[in-house]
Amino acid sequence: MRMDMSVTVNGEPWLLTVEPNDVLLETLRSKVGVKSPKIGCERGDCGSCTVLLDGHTVRSCLVLAVEADGHEVITIEGLHQGGLTELQQFFVDLNSFQCGFCAPGIVLAAAELLEEKPQPTREDVQVAIGGNLCRCTGYDPIIDAVLAAANAGGKRTR
Amino acid sequence: MTIAQVFDYQRPETLDEAVQILAAHSGDVRVLAGGTDLVAWLRDEAVAPDLLVDIKHIEGLDQIADEGDALAIGSLVTFTDLLNSDLMASRLPLICEMSATVGSTGIRNRATLVGNICSAVPSCDAGPVLLVHGAVVHTVGTSGARRIPIEEWFLGPRMTALTPDEIVTKVVVPVPVGGHGAAYVRLSRYEGEDLAQASVAILAPPDHGFRVAFGAVAATPLRARRIEALLEGKALAPGLVAEAMALVAEEISPISDMRASKEYRLRMSEVMLQRGLQAAVGRLEGDGPSYGTNLM
Amino acid sequence: MTTLRPFEEESSRGLEFVGKSAVRIDGLEKVSGAARYVDDLDFGPDLLHAEIVESPYANAMIKSIDTSAAQAVPGVTKVVTGRDFPFKFGLYMKDRYIFAQDRVRFVGEQVAAVIARDPKVAKRAAKLVEVEYEELLPIFDPIEALKPDSELIHPDLGDYTHVPWFYPHDNTNIAHWRKTRKGDVEQGFADADLVLEDEYTVPRYAHCAIEPHVIVGLYDQSGRLTMWSASQSPYTQRHLFAEALAPLGLTHKDVRVITPYVGGGFGGKAGVSMEIMGAAIATSVKGHPVKIRFTREQEFYNTYQRQGVVAHIKMGVKKDGIITAIQHILNWDAGAYVEYGANVVNAAGLSATGPYRIPNVWIDSKCIYTNLPPGGPYRGFGYSEFMFGLESHVDRVAEAIGMDPVAFRRTNAIREGDILAYGAEMNSSGLIEAIDRTAAAIEWGKEETAADPNKAIGKGFAAFWKAPAMPPNASSASFLKFNEDGSMNITVSGMELGQGYLTAMAQIAGEVLAVPPSKIRVETPDTDRNPYEWQTVASHVTWSCGNAVHAAAVEAREKIFDVVHRVHGYEEESLYLEDESVRSSTDPEFKLPLRDFVIEGLEDSDGTFKGGPIVGSGKFMPEFTSTRSDPETSQGGHPNVHYTVGAAGVVLEVDRETGRMKVKKVALAVDVGKAINPSLIEGQITGGIVQGLATVLYEDMRFSEKGKLLNANFTDYKIPTAHDIPVETIPIIIEVAQPDGPFGARGVGEHTMIPAAPIIGNAIKDALGVRITSMPITAEKVALTVMREKTTSNGDCNGC
Repeated sequence: MRMDMSVTVNGEPWLLTVEPNDVLLETLRSKVGVKSPKIGCERGDCGSCTVLLDGHTVRSCLVLAVEADGHEVITIEGLHQGGLTELQQFFVDLNSFQCGFCAPGIVLAAAELLEEKPQPTREDVQVAIGGNLCRCTGYDPIIDAVLAAANAGGKRTR
Repeated sequence: MTIAQVFDYQRPETLDEAVQILAAHSGDVRVLAGGTDLVAWLRDEAVAPDLLVDIKHIEGLDQIADEGDALAIGSLVTFTDLLNSDLMASRLPLICEMSATVGSTGIRNRATLVGNICSAVPSCDAGPVLLVHGAVVHTVGTSGARRIPIEEWFLGPRMTALTPDEIVTKVVVPVPVGGHGAAYVRLSRYEGEDLAQASVAILAPPDHGFRVAFGAVAATPLRARRIEALLEGKALAPGLVAEAMALVAEEISPISDMRASKEYRLRMSEVMLQRGLQAAVGRLEGDGPSYGTNLM
Repeated sequence: MTTLRPFEEESSRGLEFVGKSAVRIDGLEKVSGAARYVDDLDFGPDLLHAEIVESPYANAMIKSIDTSAAQAVPGVTKVVTGRDFPFKFGLYMKDRYIFAQDRVRFVGEQVAAVIARDPKVAKRAAKLVEVEYEELLPIFDPIEALKPDSELIHPDLGDYTHVPWFYPHDNTNIAHWRKTRKGDVEQGFADADLVLEDEYTVPRYAHCAIEPHVIVGLYDQSGRLTMWSASQSPYTQRHLFAEALAPLGLTHKDVRVITPYVGGGFGGKAGVSMEIMGAAIATSVKGHPVKIRFTREQEFYNTYQRQGVVAHIKMGVKKDGIITAIQHILNWDAGAYVEYGANVVNAAGLSATGPYRIPNVWIDSKCIYTNLPPGGPYRGFGYSEFMFGLESHVDRVAEAIGMDPVAFRRTNAIREGDILAYGAEMNSSGLIEAIDRTAAAIEWGKEETAADPNKAIGKGFAAFWKAPAMPPNASSASFLKFNEDGSMNITVSGMELGQGYLTAMAQIAGEVLAVPPSKIRVETPDTDRNPYEWQTVASHVTWSCGNAVHAAAVEAREKIFDVVHRVHGYEEESLYLEDESVRSSTDPEFKLPLRDFVIEGLEDSDGTFKGGPIVGSGKFMPEFTSTRSDPETSQGGHPNVHYTVGAAGVVLEVDRETGRMKVKKVALAVDVGKAINPSLIEGQITGGIVQGLATVLYEDMRFSEKGKLLNANFTDYKIPTAHDIPVETIPIIIEVAQPDGPFGARGVGEHTMIPAAPIIGNAIKDALGVRITSMPITAEKVALTVMREKTTSNGDCNGC
């Protein structure tokens, strides 16, 4: 059963033909060529597939491609079309990430948090990224960077 | 990420259309809302539907409505919607406390409370909370609308009273009159995201007509009638609480599995009952721990 | 000829880049989405996908495989089985086939593969491959496997080729037995005032790198095999691919391995595991690229696991606290294949004394086959596994003689020049400083009480050490070139796993050549272009490859001075580099920017040009290591280059009723010789502690009675989230120089997870008075132990 759908990805409209059993994560990576959302566990447990769907973080491995028909997807490539956001710059300057595989998902989760709560507490940050597993860093350098970005008034821009 | 099995997909614009599709289809049909359970099951081949019916385009299902003596939670209301609702926080804080324990932000942005009780896994978090509030599930189907009390909803692991031609439209949750305190206490393996290995929901109304429900420690969430009878109308004293704890073993039948042993689940259910009762009564009286405090 | 200037000389002038917390040179790529991992690479519409058919049994003979139904599915390109590749492979011992031949030895072992362009077709067709098995009785317990009448998991063990320093015992399930004997333990125990003996059990663990294993292979029409691999070890992979596929006519020049960024390794992406299937399958679909991406489930059960171990420790001590003897028997649950894991057993067998000076030592470390997934390298390489028991035991011995456990460790701490268990000498180390500063950081000796009456607070301490476990000739090499703008490219084949290795190499080269790391690119491996690196394991690449990069930079510097001398006349001894320019100590006005001549050469007075592109090459291989030793005692060799030492301490809050634990404070001191980049060291400390704590507090692998891994996912194998971290982490960097390291550096990477388990065990004893001698120590285990303790009034719980 092939279906036509339209989805805006990082500001660009896409017309795609998909099957009902195509998953959004795989479709973004192979049909749209956006590589930052990663395949980590395929069950929504690790958060490395996180994208913004209509502005909210979702686990794209648990969304069928066709469910995104008529909606807007943003990944970190689209987060900083005007240059790195301040939030991202803090992650770089504080050496927050190590292998980087969890970074795209965490950046989006942190960006969502700062949009909703410009002055989060440490616990707020832990909740915001609580669904993004990181095996390398122990999380502290990531949390520190988000709080530093919040203190500097940094948030995501489009 | 590969879902190998093949199925069709339809996205009705109205409830009537949705019901007609369900009624007309003779094979296995699944309703798709948030998908955080269903899509994983499709990949694991735990379910094998011929057709998915996506209800997210149907108008009017995503509202939290104030019905005066109750709040109505539409079937497309997500856990994030519940957490962001001032109405919910002020009138039914237990629902918010429970919502914050479900998954993580990226899951809560999609997962619906109604989906949680339709999946009906034994550890479902909404179950015990809706039980102590005496919620009612509203459905529509080919034979019209039904109202199913939550006590009659859960029939077994992943089994509910919903018939194949029916769709849940909302869950109506009565707001206790004259104030109340409540607590949802949950056993998990650490602070992070986890399925409950045992849980207890407690409602403490002003007249101490306590309602207690357990989750993840039986085939379905269940009301603890014996404990409720013991506590009915009484002031909470240490001796009484100890008696209530001693009844836990009669109310629940936990199993040993890879998540926890029977012994630990049972003992922790007693501890959670104790801590939950104290917190619920404290909140009723205005000096309990704030909702969302992890009592474990 | 290149000479290394002693690092003291370089450091004495003040370091500009080394020792600073430089911003990672890969940081921008990783937060912007530019960073590419293997699964992100595109191979065009011709890419095939392979779905693996796996054994449902832990021990069985394969009677027949019928692939006809699978082959007939429209869209299936090919189906392959062990018949197509009857080739063995293995790093230290060749005991494993690419696909099972006549026998499967663990649930999940690969039996066949279905190849199709559409992964959904491959997945559907794989279910149609019919395999007929005859079940055999599986063995899951290494102690059972040791029994003389037990079934042989590898009946042909005697025929397997292996490195000369492994000792398999034919006609048993013992794949390797490392024996270390020093002095006379019986006398040592006789001389002791107290002897304590007990057993400790540590189960298996999973690496859980967030990026699963993935391999793409292309055997092109010219017969060249290119592999894109998420690997810690591209050169070792190339070597193993070439060896295994030699029967097809391939040699090393025909094989190329490319590794982009890797999303975490922790040892799990070392050596070769599932990638060998990709290499073999590629040869069967010549001209088409083919990919295998492991699911998270496969990641859990068919890549290396950290081996389980049953440890029996007997320690003798005198009243004054001096350890007289240790006997440490380690029986390892090594899994179905031990081609890599046997070296974990070997490493532990040489060093299971811990960082203590002990005159009489007896270590038996046995690598035992079981019908469980293959064990292999995991951060700590045997030390994480045995230190739980050892450091728990040390605490108990101290308590038994009434001595403070920190003072006890201090008294027995090994020092430079002391004789190690195998006869070589201990290197310089800051162990005493590590112990003292860690104890101070957690206010050791000061009791703390919890505000909540349900809770108790305890403090736990452990010392640790580890040496890189490598063959004696493990080596590194590096090339370096300049660009027209004075920037540099450095090519190495160490892997950036996240530890910051590329940045450290840039800092080292930048220090020598006075170029800031931000102008230095360090390229990820391609075995056609980047020179050799044995593997990125053993916490050794900062030291080994750092030396190679340093040598390459020094060679480049010498060429720079040579051409400046030839054209401008200054004596080379008077020249130095500063601020991306050549300076002269005899002429303060002289400042020649590197970019003016590093490609174009220097124009001479007669209009001709001298010099040309400045390039450097360097290599490093230790020339003092040897595995030649007595097989019965391990005396005589020098198997380990040096040890990195440290200590850790924890302040732990425990809820007596629920067993839930909260790490309020954890301090870890490690002697890195020289912190090339302190923020990266802190990253290893913070991250390693959390990974270590996870093994003791949360991770809990469960197998069915038939040997199937039940919790092969993150839903039920719990690794820490952002909620599950210590409240406060105190990293302490100690710098007692490693004389043969770049700027005095030695490795750290694995070490930071090693002490995590014993500090928790020791803290629980302090808080609750109960001694738990098995891992994991979950909340449930603590709660049930306390409950049972209340009913029995016995304070110890062995094997709970």
